[in-house]
Amino acid sequence: MTKLNTNQWLAVVLALFAAAYLAMAWQVPTFPLPRPVDSDLFPKVLGAALLLLSIFLFFEKPGAIAGADEIDSDASRHGPLWLTPWARVIVTALAIAAYAFLLVPLGFVLASTLLCVGLTAYYGYRRHGVNLLTSLGVVLALYLTMTRVMDVYLPTGVLPF
Amino acid sequence: MTSLSLKRLAVLALPMAALTTIATAAQAQEWTPSKSIEFVAPANPGGGWDTLVRTVSRVIQQEGLADKNFAAINVPGGGGAVAWAQIARDSGNPHKLFATSPPMILVPLAGASRYDHTDFTPVARINTDYSIILVAADSEYQDVNDLFTALKENPRLSVGGGSAPGSMDHISIAGLASAAGLDASAVNYIPFSGGGDAMTNLMGGHIEAVITGAGESVGQLGEGSQLRALGVSSEERLGGALAEVPTYQEQGIDYSFDIWRGVMGAPDMPEEAVAYYEELFAEMLETDAWRQASDQLGWIDAYQDSEEFGAFLDEQQEQFSSVLSDLGLLRQ
Amino acid sequence: MDALNNLMYGFGIALEPMNIAYVFAGVFAGTIIGMLPGLGPISALALMIPITFAMEPSSGLILMAGVYYGAIFGGSTSSILLNAPGVAGTVATSFDGYPMAKQGKAGKALAIAAYSSFVGGTVSVIFLMLVAPLLSKVAVSFGPAEYFALMVLGLTAVVSLSDKSLVKGLIAAVVGVMISIVGIDMQTGTERFTFNSINLLDGIDFLVVALGIFALAEVFYMLLRGGGGKEAPRNAIGSLKLTRSEVGQIAGPVSRSSVLGFFTGVLPGAGATIGSFLGYSMEKRIAKDGDTFGKGNIKGVAAPEAANNAACTGSFVPLLTLGVPGSGTTAVLLGALLVMGVTPGPMMLEQRPDVFWGVVASMYIGNIFLLVLNLPLIPLIAKILDLPKPLLLSLILIFCMIGVYGMSFSVFDLLLLLGFGLLGLGMRLFGFPAAPLILALILGNIMEESMRRALQISGGDWMTFVDKPISLSLLLIALLSLGLPLLKKRRKKAAVAE
Repeated sequence: MTKLNTNQWLAVVLALFAAAYLAMAWQVPTFPLPRPVDSDLFPKVLGAALLLLSIFLFFEKPGAIAGADEIDSDASRHGPLWLTPWARVIVTALAIAAYAFLLVPLGFVLASTLLCVGLTAYYGYRRHGVNLLTSLGVVLALYLTMTRVMDVYLPTGVLPF
Repeated sequence: MTSLSLKRLAVLALPMAALTTIATAAQAQEWTPSKSIEFVAPANPGGGWDTLVRTVSRVIQQEGLADKNFAAINVPGGGGAVAWAQIARDSGNPHKLFATSPPMILVPLAGASRYDHTDFTPVARINTDYSIILVAADSEYQDVNDLFTALKENPRLSVGGGSAPGSMDHISIAGLASAAGLDASAVNYIPFSGGGDAMTNLMGGHIEAVITGAGESVGQLGEGSQLRALGVSSEERLGGALAEVPTYQEQGIDYSFDIWRGVMGAPDMPEEAVAYYEELFAEMLETDAWRQASDQLGWIDAYQDSEEFGAFLDEQQEQFSSVLSDLGLLRQ
Repeated sequence: MDALNNLMYGFGIALEPMNIAYVFAGVFAGTIIGMLPGLGPISALALMIPITFAMEPSSGLILMAGVYYGAIFGGSTSSILLNAPGVAGTVATSFDGYPMAKQGKAGKALAIAAYSSFVGGTVSVIFLMLVAPLLSKVAVSFGPAEYFALMVLGLTAVVSLSDKSLVKGLIAAVVGVMISIVGIDMQTGTERFTFNSINLLDGIDFLVVALGIFALAEVFYMLLRGGGGKEAPRNAIGSLKLTRSEVGQIAGPVSRSSVLGFFTGVLPGAGATIGSFLGYSMEKRIAKDGDTFGKGNIKGVAAPEAANNAACTGSFVPLLTLGVPGSGTTAVLLGALLVMGVTPGPMMLEQRPDVFWGVVASMYIGNIFLLVLNLPLIPLIAKILDLPKPLLLSLILIFCMIGVYGMSFSVFDLLLLLGFGLLGLGMRLFGFPAAPLILALILGNIMEESMRRALQISGGDWMTFVDKPISLSLLLIALLSLGLPLLKKRRKKAAVAE
């Protein structure tokens, strides 16, 4: 079996996605009142279009992708595992997910400050005092503008205000 | 270590204290809020629910009717369903209210919400608006009957409204059609993204008629305007700029439709709290600040207390589901 | 010179000391709201209704209008500096504004945005003043069929926005339309692709996608490239001054986009977002150096900024002359006017000329305020780029999160934001352009809705799209604009071959 190039891989993934999408499009229920174009037509057309485009993509010669070579290879070879470029992305993504779930129980100010201080330190910033002050300052300023001036409700969480 | 346990104690003691206050208050048969009341608009800022919530909060504060604040909170999504799902979890909370109107009945009937009005505590109906039918000023139709005669002959005639099929505007016109002896599904109802959008399309001659809220249409009627009203869904004629518009009943169609607005609370709200709010809202309706605001917004007071409101909601559910099943849109 | 008399009368109102204070307060608050994430003009205005309740209607509208166009004016700042648009109307600004900031030309990009916004705002007020009553006819002449044609025309820009591979651009656009139709289908009330989650019933908010695919993906990408502490902070803000040749370059785009933006704004439902995209893609198509768009071309900042401010003013036409709101923001304004006891509509010009002309005059003053307020602020605000890189990255993240949460108060949307951030990163790594996706996301849903509405009215007759002159001509222009770039490419190839 010949090795697939990048575009061919992508095309296969997209085609699978398009097929799943089409399957779902066929599940869209028919509206009881007659409509010239019902809710299912657009999804079906979109799914089919994506399927067709993925075939085109399969046969397109992959060009050089700007930026793909700029990945920080130095850090991935030498640094510790948890500081490799991909680890940074994964940790950040997990931190955002954790933030989403902790926002309401912890409250806006605490959760946001924690996220900001934590990630900044993780990215390699060593002046922790400056880090804490800036993060807290920005978060508090945003919080007070939103809640006090604009009357927008944000979760207070464990803090009394 | 000591400080930690002290903190813990304090955390425990706070709700306890609150409980005792409630208990003593209940004993005295008089409940008052112990903290600010969360008043939820189940929609984004700017819509009908939001306006109700903010106006009520403002009047209560301005007139000093309650010791505690009414905090307006927007919980948008799913035509109300997101907010309802949140509030339904807050059973027994006496400090949580939300604004409500016909979608409270219609959205569950369409199968788009797991909770319906019976899951919440009715507190009070506040006021109401009515549906109105509009045509272009130079239209050949002079009254509602003209329009329906034409609809009988040409079922393609398009009537625009500001919401999806099966929701408020559609139910209003479909119910009217069946009261006028037509098939409810015979109206070619075109949903637009709002009453204003529908009226613009009517002015441009893209559709034949529009069904929308009477309050929303006030600015479009009167001398020199491009639109004309054929009929209004109230039982008696309205005042002000709409005094000239005949009701459906005057035109021989026995049908009325209310776009009511009211307040409901979390499930199983204590009776004492309900009594407190009932009185508060009844009092609010008497104030000058409320009078002024609701005149400007074209609202008509239609107060009902908790019990009447509950019965009214059940009635509405029955009426709406019969129209929806005529249309074939009722979800089992 | 009737208009001149009326304008003098309007200035008489707008120049009252209290009203000058209101214009100033309005545009100042608007600028801040535009810069801050999570506070769009809609919610800001809804929250102001209680404040304006007791005001004289002309003063109230002067204040609220100031907030509205001030927010569009200020929204460009975060688009340019952080690639994180705070307001939907300024997404297109980030296409070239952010690359400019990365090249150390943040000051210039912000200055161009300010000047273009000023021109767009002022040109459109002149239009508003001279032709508003006439334009109300144009606004109502657009029915569903015409909107469909307009959206098709807008979508043809996908071709020019997908730079290297057309196939990848088209794929991005198809995915954009797919995202736009998630939720309850307005035409039937049917749920589509909601996976039975109530969080998806209202669809996916445009800003969640935009912040994810632009700002969050950018943060991820910088992390991949070694965004750690070792990289020196980007210190260059650069000069704010424009050279004469630069002024010459943007003069054309700014004036064209001002006019285009204004007319887009007049159409109910179109507004600043669509206006700015149309302005951007039009300039990219007609510019000789069109292929440098997206890489920090000053015309790519000037065009959308002029267009979105002009569209904002344009959206006052249907509001004030017809009494119908063309957008969510003007719907709130309409509500506020009703509360103040003014019913906008065809009779307003005669019944309340003070409100109409007062507001028009105040917009001239407000735009001047915005310019003198914003220019000195630029070096200060751009200082944010001097922050150490790690701190800047986490602040951008916080910024996006507040932006999304403050809009919907939904934890689910935060997770969606993360998902779109990862999608955006993937698209970048594999060379899929983001702009076509965003464009299709804005236009896709309106296109489907208006198409089905038109067919429902015509009883299923597809000829409705070619029977109507406006719709037919828009579709023809769409065809033409598809053909033009292909011709251009062929000619270029021929030239290379020689």
